[in-house]
Amino acid sequence: MLDVAETQASLEAVLKDEILQMYQEVADHPDAEFHFYHGREAARLFEYDDAWLARAPEGAVASFAGVGNPLLRAAIQPGETVLDLGSGAGLDGIIASWLTGPTGSVIGVDLNPAMCLKAQAHAAAGGTRIECHEARMEDLPLPDASVDVIISNGVINLSFRKRRVVEEMFRVLRPGGRVSITDIVCAKQLSQSIVNDPKLWAS
Amino acid sequence: MFALLEGAGFARVKSAVVPRFRFRKPSTQNSAEAFGVKAVMMTGQKPAGGKSQ
Repeated sequence: MLDVAETQASLEAVLKDEILQMYQEVADHPDAEFHFYHGREAARLFEYDDAWLARAPEGAVASFAGVGNPLLRAAIQPGETVLDLGSGAGLDGIIASWLTGPTGSVIGVDLNPAMCLKAQAHAAAGGTRIECHEARMEDLPLPDASVDVIISNGVINLSFRKRRVVEEMFRVLRPGGRVSITDIVCAKQLSQSIVNDPKLWAS
Repeated sequence: MFALLEGAGFARVKSAVVPRFRFRKPSTQNSAEAFGVKAVMMTGQKPAGGKSQ
């Protein structure tokens, strides 16, 4: 019989596959219809500046799958180091890199190596640069106190270990550093059948 | 999430509902509303001389 830790590890492994599949689908087929808004339609819904959307590479905009606009309250300044947690196809990171300017930097972290490559290619097409790491947000491959700002858009809810994710965010931020997150929350306790269904969890 | 941020040591934690968030499909939106699912924006700051993990 599996103990709790083994069961969770098993569910996490399946969930990782479901998440990779879901967001790869958005990136590969941006014209398809999903149960959530995505692409330019979603970015406009969440008040992304029209000038940003006009300047950003079409691929980054078309594959956008956020749930809000974390840049609105991030107050990113020139020269800052920004971490985009769950950087996806790169739209938020690209805009952040325009805000930090050449003296700053943007680091992306994504579970999917293909998305990292895509984000970096989109950034290059947008005249900027993102350094993207394939990694889990529960184990960030960054030194302590190395980041000024963390942005994240709709990914922390996907983790089974949210406390660990938040602790990692705290660890990598410099003292005085800040977070600006948009994400999905649920006011009611989810049933065990939902918690144990990676397909539902990922979606 | 709000409690997790405060529990980790973040200060000045604030949250607000993302006003225009909704699911595309009405059936999904209805289920989401039944469970109190919403999108929120949260901000916080690591204290300048602050607590470490």
